[in-house]
Amino acid sequence: MEPPETREDARTDIRRAPAGNARRGLTAHARRLLDAVEHLVSGLATALLAFAGLLWLVLVALTCLIGVGLLLAPTVPRVVRSVAERERDRLSRWGPEIVRLGPAPDGVRAALADRAVRREVGWLLVHSTLGLFLSLSGLTMVANSVQDVTYPLWWRMLPPDDVTPGLVFWDVRAPGGVLAVALFGVGLAVCFLLLGPGMAWAQAWPGRRLLTPTADMDLSLRVAQLSATRAAALDAHAAELRRIERSLHDGAQNRLVAVTVLLGAAHRALAQNRPGAEEMLERAQETAEQALAELRTVVRSILPPVLSDRGLTDALSGLAANCAVPCRVDIDASGRCAVSIEATAYFVVAEALTNISRHSGARHATVTVRRAGGLLSLRVEDDGVGGADERHGSGLTGMRSRIEAHDGRLTLSSPPGGPTILDVELPCGL
Amino acid sequence: MRIVIAEDDPLLREGVALLLRAESLDVVATTGSPDAFLQAVDVHRPDVAIVDVRMPPTHTTEGIAAAVEARRRQPGLAVLVLSAYVEQAFATELLAAGTDRLGYLLKERVGRVGQFLDALHRVAAGGTAIDPEVVAQLLTRTRSDSGLERLTARERDVLALMAEGLGNAAISERLFVSEGAVHKHIRSIFAKLDLAPTDRADRRVTAVLRYLEETQRRG
Repeated sequence: MEPPETREDARTDIRRAPAGNARRGLTAHARRLLDAVEHLVSGLATALLAFAGLLWLVLVALTCLIGVGLLLAPTVPRVVRSVAERERDRLSRWGPEIVRLGPAPDGVRAALADRAVRREVGWLLVHSTLGLFLSLSGLTMVANSVQDVTYPLWWRMLPPDDVTPGLVFWDVRAPGGVLAVALFGVGLAVCFLLLGPGMAWAQAWPGRRLLTPTADMDLSLRVAQLSATRAAALDAHAAELRRIERSLHDGAQNRLVAVTVLLGAAHRALAQNRPGAEEMLERAQETAEQALAELRTVVRSILPPVLSDRGLTDALSGLAANCAVPCRVDIDASGRCAVSIEATAYFVVAEALTNISRHSGARHATVTVRRAGGLLSLRVEDDGVGGADERHGSGLTGMRSRIEAHDGRLTLSSPPGGPTILDVELPCGL
Repeated sequence: MRIVIAEDDPLLREGVALLLRAESLDVVATTGSPDAFLQAVDVHRPDVAIVDVRMPPTHTTEGIAAAVEARRRQPGLAVLVLSAYVEQAFATELLAAGTDRLGYLLKERVGRVGQFLDALHRVAAGGTAIDPEVVAQLLTRTRSDSGLERLTARERDVLALMAEGLGNAAISERLFVSEGAVHKHIRSIFAKLDLAPTDRADRRVTAVLRYLEETQRRG
């Protein structure tokens, strides 16, 4: 996806285009031109779909008169919605995002009552006619200007009785006729340069007006989005509880059962004066110590005490000091974030450092932490062999779901041969 | 008595094997997965299988499925299921097909070696062994029922021990009363719960569990 600044540029370009701006230079012109062509081409695709949708709408409306159409009527809102969703995707690629609405309401009555569907039908009418016309005329201008400008180079190869190119009404065999075609091509190109971006903008305008959610729908969509992220957060929470339950069961609980078994056996041996009791007691004690060690690990993995006592900086320094690979820590993040954010940051770094010492073969690692503009940014780098892949090994997947539960972002760059760079952004409030 | 053990935690597996061997029982194989367990049952034809409920790959109820499959392959195989938790659903699933040669115990009971060996022998001899915790849970959940409310505290104790699979003699030992008194209590329990009296241990357990299940369903 394009970064937002570029998108902003593209939009202002199109608005200012008719006025022209000589200072912007040749490359800016060229880019604007290419953007306009690209938008008109993609607009042509959705306009053709919209045209097909319009034909279907008219066909169903006409057959309704003889009854058959009534059976087909429920398909119309779905067809209209699917075409509109494509246009939403298209417009989102080079302007402010237009959220998809998802499936159309079932049934004709519900669809007619839905304001979004009515607005979509309105858009369909405009885009399938005016939108189609804009795309076709704009692209005709482009095609003809290319053809005409290059015309002097190849017109001799044409059959003599059919040499006049499209849109040209004079006799090219007259003196200067061919040159006139080339000049006409240049004229067309200039026209497109002046009009093209405006045409692309005009073609997109009905979509931007009619396909964006209205204020009330906007809220309901946001509720839906929030519900989805909330569900994801709860899922992550449940997964975390499962992990804790599993590690308690497989670790400390089993160790303690083994202790009771060993103690029971030792008890019997002592009662019956059999040998081996001392060895069993020895093993029971060792096992109990293991259980304690495992409990400590689990407790630390729930919320490391150092994190709540001393804060992220100290906690991360501690992690780096314990890392098998020499690790430099560079933290410039004053103040405390929410506990859950700090815990996530801690586990991401812990997991990353574990991966580095296990798989990377690195000689140095660096952990950088910055806090700015409501974002906590983490970067973990190493000079190892690279080739880390999210699909292999669940550590990275777990990391990602943990981060996304907080609405954060994770990017991993790990080409074969290294270096591996893990970038994480967590929103942490101002 | 030839025994096969299926338990995925190596330490615990070897601990149980050590304990049983110290009691001069014949542990013929110890296995850590359902597949290895079934293979060992096929090869060694043991008398008793001791099976952990949670085993790989999903660590949920593989042990129960493996126990059921082992009994299908070798009818008459006694199975003692060990579990880290009391899960009534496991118990009913396991006991649904009959309670002969079946036990369901919490793992830590193994440490009470005397009682554990009792349960093991009882199951091997064709009886039943249900963990007191399971029985207690069943009784708690049905406390509101009028039939059980009519029982005296002593009769409740007897019922719980019966449900564990103990015979009259064992019950009288645990409760420090005469066998005759136990007999009287049991007749009274059956009368209050409207069950035909019988002395065979497994049928008594079946009767008790069926009755408890039914009252649960009604409640």
